[in-house]
Amino acid sequence: MSNDSPIIRIADVSKYFDAVAALSHVSLDVGQGEKVVIIGPSGSGKSTLLRTINRLENISAGRIVVDGFDLDDKTVDINKVRMEVGMVFQSFNLFPHKTVLQNLTLAPIKLKGMDPAEADAMARRLLDKVGILEKADVFPAKLSGGQQQRVAIARALAMSPKIMLFDEPTSALDPEMIGEVLDVMVKLAREGMTMVCVTHEMGFAREVADRIVFMDEGQILEIATPAEFFTSPRHPRTQKFLEQIL
Amino acid sequence: MKHQGKCPVEEPQVVIDVGDGAAIPKPSDKGLVSAWRLSFAGALIVLGYLLVFHPDPYLRIFKFIPDGILITFQVTVCSIALALVFGLITGLGRISRNKYVNLVASTYVEIVRGVPLLVQLFYIYYALGRIVQVPDLLAAVLSMSVCYGAYMGEVFRAGILAIPVGQTEAARSLGFNRAQTMYHVILPQAWRTILPPVGNEFIALLKDTSLVSILGVADLLRRGREFASESFMYFETFTMVAVVYLIITLVLSKLVSIMEERLSHHVKR
Repeated sequence: MSNDSPIIRIADVSKYFDAVAALSHVSLDVGQGEKVVIIGPSGSGKSTLLRTINRLENISAGRIVVDGFDLDDKTVDINKVRMEVGMVFQSFNLFPHKTVLQNLTLAPIKLKGMDPAEADAMARRLLDKVGILEKADVFPAKLSGGQQQRVAIARALAMSPKIMLFDEPTSALDPEMIGEVLDVMVKLAREGMTMVCVTHEMGFAREVADRIVFMDEGQILEIATPAEFFTSPRHPRTQKFLEQIL
Repeated sequence: MKHQGKCPVEEPQVVIDVGDGAAIPKPSDKGLVSAWRLSFAGALIVLGYLLVFHPDPYLRIFKFIPDGILITFQVTVCSIALALVFGLITGLGRISRNKYVNLVASTYVEIVRGVPLLVQLFYIYYALGRIVQVPDLLAAVLSMSVCYGAYMGEVFRAGILAIPVGQTEAARSLGFNRAQTMYHVILPQAWRTILPPVGNEFIALLKDTSLVSILGVADLLRRGREFASESFMYFETFTMVAVVYLIITLVLSKLVSIMEERLSHHVKR
């Protein structure tokens, strides 16, 4: 799966909250079209790592290059980079004052100058894709958690990103709604989207991931293919973690 | 978005209560609703009684003061409009990550809060007078809005900080910059929480406009004082002035309460 030049290059990245190291000397390359799933116990720094990729978190040391843009380069417009990197949050974060459709069209219209009619048509196509077209004109408060998260995925896709980041997208959902969100993510993966997912869904990781990254205490302890990872994990900490959850 | 993430402990309350405004009756607060009805009915009965049974001097007073009511409203509406502008700027300044902007905005709030409104009125009026001669009415409006702008700034600040940080993160992750995030995502939501306390401030400001009568602005109180000093009927005049103020503020607080109701019904969260 490794392409010649990775679309995301994380090189020796550390991040400190006061004296505590949230990330220490983390390196990870993600190839074009690759699906990387990051797992690990809570507080292991996996969400922090994900959030450094679109600089929602600044880093203390190291270097991150996304699609050729060095995020610490002062001449790089981070907002331009973020337009290429979609993000889906645990808590959906839909805009409550906008309808579902407007949630999707706001950024393309305001940031890319897309024609409203064109944005509208594009948004409806995306809503159809995530299976929620009939809710286009309602406000997010009227939707279930699973529906909201699918809208959130569609909203991120509306900017036609090259990379999608998922930060525990199913952790806030009722169990019966997890499936509908994962289905959308699997579909997206099949289409060749580059994806980095922080998740606790081992079934999803096994099915979709090209590589699984295991983190603990701010460090990457192991990177492996799903087959290796689930059958013969190398690191003792990984073995222990898998014993507990499987 | 860092500044918001860093200080969630400070004041993430969603309901903004401003202490010095009028008590706004809510249907759930039976006591206050009854008190509102009692006061309103009482004020109307007193007014009616005085006008009908003691037309002299009350009817004469009643005919003398409407010009003043108009001026009071003008000062209130203009001041609140300008105060909203000052308030938005101050509120944004107070949450700014630029420490100089933040310092200027905070100092403004600190100074305005620390000096009595009446003293501010005198000060701005005379300080302004040393530079340019401005009409009394304009001086009054400027003074009131400088003062209320600071209070309004705190309302804006609290309203903006009450919006969950996830909203900012979602907008930023789509590629909106800080200003665009504020304009397209945060402020439209913050309005909902900001409007009721702004209504409160409106009523408080209306009452405080009585202070501008000192500056020679012919507001409701000033008209009353003019009448009293000619007729020597101080008690009667100020009874009338008080009843008129009361009726106005009671009507306004009812309107604010209706507005709050409407807003809470339309919350699309």
